[in-house]
Amino acid sequence: MDGLAAYVIRRLLFLPVTLLIVSFATFYITRWGPGDPISIYSGHYRDEEAFDRVREQYGLDKPIVAQYGIWLERVALHGDFGPSFRYRDRDIPDILGPKIWVSLRLSLYAFLIAFAIGIPVGILAAVKQGTWLDPFMISVFLFFQSIPALVTVPVLVLVLSAKLHWVPPGGFDGMFSKSMIIPTLALSLPGVAGIARLARATTLGTLGEDFVRTARAKGLDEFTVISRHVARNSVVPVMTTVIGLSLVGLVEGALFTETILGIPGIGRFTVEAVTTQDYNVVLTIVLFSATLFVLANLAVDIALAAIDPRIRFGGSNR
Amino acid sequence: MTALALSREPELEPISGVAGSPTARALRRLLGKRIAVLSLAVIAVFYSAGIFASLVAPYGYSEQNLDKSFEGPSLAHPFGTDRNGRDTLSRNIFAARTTVIVSVATVAAGGIVLPLTLGLLAGYRRGIVDAVIMRTGEILGALPGLPMLLLVNTTLRPRIKTWLTDTSGQVHVDFLANSNFLDYFLIFFFLSWFGWVGSSRLIRSQVLTLRRSEFIIAAEASGAGTVRILFRHLLPSVMPIVIVGVSAGLGAVAGTEIALTFLGVGIQPPHPSFGALITDGASRAVLENHPQLLLVPAAMVASLLFAFNLLGDALNDVFTPRAR
Amino acid sequence: MNNRLQLALIGAAAVLIIALAGVLVFVVAGGDGDKKETTNGEKTPTASATEDNGDGGGEASDGELIIRGTDPLFLDPAVAQDADSAAYIVEIFSGLVRLDKDLQIQPDLAEALPTVSADGLTYTFTIRRNATFHDGRPVLAGDVKYALERALQPETASVVAENFLGDIVGAKDVSRGRATEVSGLKVIDDSTIEITIDAPKPYFLYKLTYPTGFVVDQRQIEANPRRWTQKPNGTGPYTLEEWRLGERIVLQAYDKHYLGAPKLKTVRFELSGGSGLVAYQDGDIDITGVGLDDLEAIQDASNDLNKEYSQTPRQSLDYIGFNTNTPPFDDAKVRQAFALSVDRTKIAEVILKRAIPVANGILMPGVPGYTTDEKTYPYDPDEAKKLLSESKYADNMPEITLAETGAGGTVGPTTEAIVQYWKDNLGIDVKIQQAEAGTFFSDIDQGRYQMFHLGWIMDYPDPEDILDILFYSKSRQNNTRYTNPEIDALLESARVEQDTEKRLATYQDVEKKLIQDAVWMPMFYDVTHALVKPYVTGFSFPPMVIERYRDIEVNR
Repeated sequence: MDGLAAYVIRRLLFLPVTLLIVSFATFYITRWGPGDPISIYSGHYRDEEAFDRVREQYGLDKPIVAQYGIWLERVALHGDFGPSFRYRDRDIPDILGPKIWVSLRLSLYAFLIAFAIGIPVGILAAVKQGTWLDPFMISVFLFFQSIPALVTVPVLVLVLSAKLHWVPPGGFDGMFSKSMIIPTLALSLPGVAGIARLARATTLGTLGEDFVRTARAKGLDEFTVISRHVARNSVVPVMTTVIGLSLVGLVEGALFTETILGIPGIGRFTVEAVTTQDYNVVLTIVLFSATLFVLANLAVDIALAAIDPRIRFGGSNR
Repeated sequence: MTALALSREPELEPISGVAGSPTARALRRLLGKRIAVLSLAVIAVFYSAGIFASLVAPYGYSEQNLDKSFEGPSLAHPFGTDRNGRDTLSRNIFAARTTVIVSVATVAAGGIVLPLTLGLLAGYRRGIVDAVIMRTGEILGALPGLPMLLLVNTTLRPRIKTWLTDTSGQVHVDFLANSNFLDYFLIFFFLSWFGWVGSSRLIRSQVLTLRRSEFIIAAEASGAGTVRILFRHLLPSVMPIVIVGVSAGLGAVAGTEIALTFLGVGIQPPHPSFGALITDGASRAVLENHPQLLLVPAAMVASLLFAFNLLGDALNDVFTPRAR
Repeated sequence: MNNRLQLALIGAAAVLIIALAGVLVFVVAGGDGDKKETTNGEKTPTASATEDNGDGGGEASDGELIIRGTDPLFLDPAVAQDADSAAYIVEIFSGLVRLDKDLQIQPDLAEALPTVSADGLTYTFTIRRNATFHDGRPVLAGDVKYALERALQPETASVVAENFLGDIVGAKDVSRGRATEVSGLKVIDDSTIEITIDAPKPYFLYKLTYPTGFVVDQRQIEANPRRWTQKPNGTGPYTLEEWRLGERIVLQAYDKHYLGAPKLKTVRFELSGGSGLVAYQDGDIDITGVGLDDLEAIQDASNDLNKEYSQTPRQSLDYIGFNTNTPPFDDAKVRQAFALSVDRTKIAEVILKRAIPVANGILMPGVPGYTTDEKTYPYDPDEAKKLLSESKYADNMPEITLAETGAGGTVGPTTEAIVQYWKDNLGIDVKIQQAEAGTFFSDIDQGRYQMFHLGWIMDYPDPEDILDILFYSKSRQNNTRYTNPEIDALLESARVEQDTEKRLATYQDVEKKLIQDAVWMPMFYDVTHALVKPYVTGFSFPPMVIERYRDIEVNR
């Protein structure tokens, strides 16, 4: 297992380098666009002299590299991500925190439901391999995966809110409110196919293992074999992988659902921040997701290594 | 899109040895699958509609008739008309053309050329080349895709446009600046920029397992150069990865176009695209009174994506002997 | 591999993932905690800190109005320039004068309209004796002076201060950092302030109704320079009770307000949510706007909602502007041809469902100087073709692109229809280019666009706010690059004309000449279509951002 430990350490050491490059690239790209926050938030008022005076106040008149240096120093030494140009009286973590929290809660239900359907379907498909049931079940959920959220959400709103008035047409009233129903449906169904396919593949692998053969040889009935032995060995890796990879998608995951339904989550907010060129907020979000990406992938790699010792890491093998 | 986040491709079993034939055999097996053939047929219909849009479509995409606003289905307009009295069917066919152009260009660059070259190089040359390519990939991969696309679109795109417009004295630049080519180009450029990482990593690991195999060593001994080894000897054995990647990529790009256009950075109007059609049709009031405006493009896109998903599933099956 | 090791590794991975999620939650919860601390620091009686009590109308009591709102950017009146922020600022703060519902200037913090010196240069205001900040401290003349000077100081970073206060003598010295005090502001005693302006400009009082002239609390700002706007100590009829970014804003009546306690005790703005009409039908909100595609159904008298429906014109104009400096629009004949070849009435009928009227001029109904006669070009494709063939670009028409702001997916069907008219009638294929607001305005500044589709909303009801700002050749906002010495001379004379009738006649003259020269192609005036619950009385839609909740009654 030396390979794995070394691999993990190498990846962790590379993280700051990644973040440095990512932050500089993003910093540069944000400031590359025409216009800047000062001129954007001024709408009709076009007083370039006044803009310049304000830019000076925010240090936006300095060369980009100098601005980056100042920003980096503040972040590294004081944990200060700089001002938001849109909401000038708030700190960036105070702005992003509640948004991330909303999105996190939103995706929780979606995962629970996607797992609850996906794992049994995947195991069943594997067990029934060779019959019509296997491709049929997977196809049904592949179909759900094929419909863009831009279609599902409006249709759900039309039926469940506008026609039946069962649920509110959008917004977020907390975990235990009816406002969760549409986003949960829209977010969970497309995810089922991926989980089911993964569960199917893992189960197929497990079915060939010795301990399953032993269990069968002992004369245990098929249901017990599947639920006791196969399922346990399929569920854990699938959940680890999917949860890990989904954390990565936190920012983008519910972007469209949030935008259409007017849910104050991080996805919708990211779009707003980018289109209004709120430099520091965009930068913070990008760094946040990059960190999340690296850590979550690492976790998934470790998990996969644990599950399948044949997987090796790094260039040092052989 | 949760679906995108989850679609980490299953590891492919190494297909070792003899060039050409395993891939060909697998593809023959594919044609034996009814679902796969059906999917290919759907894709073929969609693509030919797109390619021959100007011949197939009964009307032009921007031909408006304000006296025929929001008409229901009729003989003249099988799927009715939109707010400006334009033929829904024709607009959808032209949207298919947009999808075809964008996804084929993107996948050619980001799904074939870039990952093949970089993956083969990284795997075969190793050392510093490998490190640079893989670290670059890691950093690009760590960036949140959609926000970055949005960002690049809001900052770089106007830059490029301005630059092209300012120098529009020259003929070739003029063509770029004034046609919709630029829109397509920018989308495919940025998508492929972020898209090569996944497949090139798979290709690299495949090459890593092959580079010490006998037939490569034999080729090296006979004095073959890097390029020859890469493309004559290693390329055939990574073809399955490329084929699966292309199938998945064509679907993913079609989906991403919708997303980008909805966010206002995709195809610029009046050119129709599924993103624009779906966005137009998705408002509650329009959907309530004229559902066909959403359902027609939705059905077309969903059947295309569904076909690609099924095809991808089938491809995985035929290329992964274990799952048989 | 041994089974126990495998389990241990899986366990480790799970722990890592859980830890990751934990860090996330911690960051988030930590963020929340911080926020509570800062607001607690100012001893606010927070109603409840519980998380999920936002389920709409259920717990609403009488005297609470629930409507949809938008996040303001920044509640500092000196800096605000966007309507979203201004909508809250006018309730929380106040200035010497304000606009009433009929857009007449009324004294606000001042006990009466100011006395103006004979030369029209010096305004003397007397401040109400009972005017107080929300913390009970009386408002003095020194507070007014402080607020105006602070707005102008470079550190405040306001891009509009000079625009609205720049007429005051010495204002620019402060905004350019040459002085710290404005020489034209003189505190006579605690309740009297004298303002001197640089020329007898009749519209000066209008400029003081803008938030830039509102009073702020010096002590609070100096004690908490970065965050005071989260709980501002203003002088308006409402206090900011709660503001959860993107979720809700709650305004609470300030009962000791100098104009009497507001009748409406609480205004709750829901900052998120889906379709407003559905939420309105569900009783979750009390007021909603009506979109184009629901309009026909609701305007039908048999519809249940029809009784709750009303429409109010806004002082806002939708137009197409031509850059008179670039080909082909440097030729007036081309501009006129473009204006003549679009059937605006048809577009209004079919695409806009008669929701908004076709503009008959540049000035909107309600703006002084507006006349009902038709001043714009009619729809006449033949005349358009004729003019085009006479123009100097008849045979060598360059590529033309129409720019508009766009943030959400597709171009409006209106723009597409307009472009199609040009194609059909003039044979010119105009491209559409959408740009993000920021890009758009800086490009327009630099004269990059040939033509653009845009709107103008009045800041105050005076023709100067549109004609002088947008068409005076040296104005910063002159985005058509229109230069006409005759128009300039007329605009200059109107600025200082003391006879209202003569002044308005001059503006009408300017308006007619501008339209004839086809600098703009006025398209439509704007109208607000809305539904208001029958239990809400006294609500109206002002044509501009003005203070509006005080007199509303809600009897659910």
